[in-house]
Amino acid sequence: MNTNSQKAKRRRKWRMLKDQIAKYSMTLGGISIIIAITLIFFYLLYVVLPLFLPASMNHIVQFSNPDSSIYIASEEKNELGVSFTNDADVVFFSLKDGKVISKYKIAIPDDTSITSFAVADPATDIVAFGLNDGRAVVVKHDYKITYPNDVRVITPHIKYPFGKEAIVVDEKQRALTHLDIQLKGAKNTLAAITADNNLVLATFTKKESFLGESGDFERTYNSVLALPSIYVSYLLLDKEQKIIYLADQNGQITHIDISTKTPKILQRLRVVDVNTKITALEFLTGDISLLVGDSKGHITQWFPVRDKNNNHILTKIREFNDQSAPIISIATEERRKGFVAADNNGQVGIYHSTAHRTVMLEKVTDAGIKNISISPRANRLLVADNNNQFHVWNLDNKHPEISWSALWGKVWYESYESPDYVWQSSSANNDFEPKFSLVPLAFGTLKAAFYAMLIAIPIAVFGAIYTAYFMAPKMRSIVKPSIEIMAALPTVILGFLAGLWLAPIMEKNLPGFFMLLLLLPIIVLVFAFIMHHLPKSIKHKISTGWQSALLIPIILLVIWSAFSLSYPVEVWLFDGNMPNWLTNTLGVDFDQRNALIVGIAMGLAVIPNIFSMAEDAVFSVPKHLTIGSLALGATPWQTMIRVIILTASPGIFSAIMIGMGRAVGETMIVLMATGNTPIMDFNIFEGLRTLSANIAVEMPEAEVASTHYRILFLSGLVLFVFTFFFNTIAEVVRHRLRRKYSSL
Amino acid sequence: MSKIDISSIHRGKKTNNFENETITLKVEDLNLFYGEKQALNHINMQIPQRRVTAYIGPSGCGKSTLLRCFNRMNDLVDSARIEGKILLDNNNIYDDDINVADLRRRVGMVFQKPNPFPKSIYENVAYGLRLQGINSRRILDEVVEKSLKGAALWNEVKDRLNDNALGLSGGQQQRLVIARAIAIEPEVLLLDEPASALDPISTLKIEELINDLKSDYTIIIVTHNMQQAARVSDYTAFMYLGELIEFGDTSTLFTNPSKKQTEDYITGRYG
Repeated sequence: MNTNSQKAKRRRKWRMLKDQIAKYSMTLGGISIIIAITLIFFYLLYVVLPLFLPASMNHIVQFSNPDSSIYIASEEKNELGVSFTNDADVVFFSLKDGKVISKYKIAIPDDTSITSFAVADPATDIVAFGLNDGRAVVVKHDYKITYPNDVRVITPHIKYPFGKEAIVVDEKQRALTHLDIQLKGAKNTLAAITADNNLVLATFTKKESFLGESGDFERTYNSVLALPSIYVSYLLLDKEQKIIYLADQNGQITHIDISTKTPKILQRLRVVDVNTKITALEFLTGDISLLVGDSKGHITQWFPVRDKNNNHILTKIREFNDQSAPIISIATEERRKGFVAADNNGQVGIYHSTAHRTVMLEKVTDAGIKNISISPRANRLLVADNNNQFHVWNLDNKHPEISWSALWGKVWYESYESPDYVWQSSSANNDFEPKFSLVPLAFGTLKAAFYAMLIAIPIAVFGAIYTAYFMAPKMRSIVKPSIEIMAALPTVILGFLAGLWLAPIMEKNLPGFFMLLLLLPIIVLVFAFIMHHLPKSIKHKISTGWQSALLIPIILLVIWSAFSLSYPVEVWLFDGNMPNWLTNTLGVDFDQRNALIVGIAMGLAVIPNIFSMAEDAVFSVPKHLTIGSLALGATPWQTMIRVIILTASPGIFSAIMIGMGRAVGETMIVLMATGNTPIMDFNIFEGLRTLSANIAVEMPEAEVASTHYRILFLSGLVLFVFTFFFNTIAEVVRHRLRRKYSSL
Repeated sequence: MSKIDISSIHRGKKTNNFENETITLKVEDLNLFYGEKQALNHINMQIPQRRVTAYIGPSGCGKSTLLRCFNRMNDLVDSARIEGKILLDNNNIYDDDINVADLRRRVGMVFQKPNPFPKSIYENVAYGLRLQGINSRRILDEVVEKSLKGAALWNEVKDRLNDNALGLSGGQQQRLVIARAIAIEPEVLLLDEPASALDPISTLKIEELINDLKSDYTIIIVTHNMQQAARVSDYTAFMYLGELIEFGDTSTLFTNPSKKQTEDYITGRYG
């Protein structure tokens, strides 16, 4: 054959070409995978990153304010501002240039003067003026939006929800020095302090009327509480109209319960340092937390915490010490637990309570600030200073809820008895405090993986070692592919079976399950012992490596008997109901869908992966090592422990780590079989919620680009890091072990 | 293959007298079957104590199979079936009450391909002792040093006893494996073509080692290399097609074989 013929040359060329094509397409494939993974990572990062970007403020406009405002606010669309003055004037002006749009004079009765002012929940746009004859005028600033010629026009006006007539708060007609008002559905309460230091409460109930005409209010309840000698500086009534807080000039807060017929002083305590005065007092949205601003520039958050005796004690939760001049005005966001505080130096601080975060500080004016308001959407600040100037600032603060402590630390949430790790991302109402702790989810992930591995590792690894080392080759050729085919089982089916079939069975037959756990190993050992001591004649009939097949009927028998004994045992030992017995006698909570179910289902899901890799590792231990060990007088057991497992350890280890990685990222099984309760309890009988299941559950209902949405992506990133971490450790250890045993 | 100049190899070697030897192993009418195929056919022979006995013969003649019978390594082959007896100190090693692991401790074996465990040099040598439950550091240190010296490896590895054994060269690995085998002080040492995977210098070292070891151990060696058999052994057995053709003093067998087949083989007519 001529190796230099044209044909042979062409063939060689073609061969080279094929080699090149193969080389480049493989390189391309490999690089594309790396690029794809990197892109996923960067996309996650891209969604998550805004959570960690700082907030920003920029000055929009400044204009003069001829009147002396006692309260300022802006409407939803950030077009108009409103200013209430001491003279009962209401001025609506444009936030763009300060131009006055309209001006109203509130109708107050003749021969009276205004002695106090109150703002209801900011979302209601209702304010009230207290008069010197014990009466009050309730006013709502309202905005009507019309679209003439397709241009949005906002027309402000004034409404009197209780009618134009002033309503009587104090029947003894004493001057109202302090006033607060809350409206909730049909129930409306005005609370006032009279000139002679009495607390007066007046509740007005809307008359039931099919015509539903407003203005028909009936005074249904009133009470008076004579206060001890304190000089009240602030009066706050909560939205539920159950609690009143009074701040006095001594820096103390008086906590009054008005939920019963007779108001009762629960507590009086100092909330600021000695020689420090309370300079601002506001409710955080939801009216559970009190924000106390003091003359040192500190802001503290307080709320009642239930103690052992079921008493609610006002407790200091956290403090913000970033401002140094007296806090003059605090404005709270309507829809988040954030607030802004303005001080006497013209500095404004943007805060978030749950995250315990000072988002930013900005000096907005050189003069002291008299009043601050934040728009309903928390993106505009309106500041009135002592130089009669209005300052309008744009605020870009999308994700103040995020801080390291909010995600990973214990947070003292409103109405909780102590700081805790909680995931509770959403609720029906606006003033709910979102709880974004990733700890319960990470915990749940690890808990699920732990119980799954607890079940999977022994079965898979021991099974692999037995299959590779002891089992007859023919049996192995059946067993190995059968187990590997289990890996193809869709996890949604496993989850479905676990959640809807296994969980109820287990709840009914709990003692049976535990007997099984106890009996199976014992029976297997007894069987092995009997096999060992069987007469030779019988023993020889079973070929080596097939003994385990005899175990199958025995195991089935044990399972059957454990389940049929389950009920009698339950009656005998556990009062007929083991779950109840666990809860009542041991104090262990029992959920039907619990970590044990997940352990079994997810264990089953990862067993094929671990088994297959570990079996390969054990099987590929060179024969000459086994023989060498046996030739030195080692028993097969010693050979397995000292040589086989040692040599196969890199493979077994990476099999376990890959199984672990899969268990951490597994979604469908945990989603369907756990109950998805984000609790922090290692109890095997309670449910859990994993990072992955949490994403699956909540992603469809999370508003795109909201904090919640981005946190879900963040938890995805955490999951990514988890798996990355496990796989990296697995790779590093495997490489080290492999280098050690490389020249085999 | 040209006729071997046996006289040059045996220069200075005296002829051994089998009558004066103490017998360690007796093979009595041994038959071995792999399934239906008979691999060993009515073998009868005696192995003298503290001598080197070599098996030679063409590939597939059953010499390795016979060697593996002495420590029952053939038990690991499912299809192998054995008839007859092998007596070690007058006890049949194929008796039911013989503990195989214990037998293998008394009859050590070194294979063709070096097979150190993926452990340190120290742990490789100590392996056999640890199997017996000996974990005292003092005893292990002593035995490891003695065995490595015995295997002529001590000087090369004494500074790196904790290094992985897989880092040694092939010849060193084979000597390590011999050290591992003699660490448990077997009575018999079986060498299955111990130098066939090694370079000439390593082979020479192994051969020297065999010569040193025979003062303490009964050595049985299987080799393809007739010069090696002639160099290292006191007695040589020639096997052919599962039968023991001739067994006797090495010099006699090589210079004056009594069987035609033996002469044909050693003169290179086949093999």
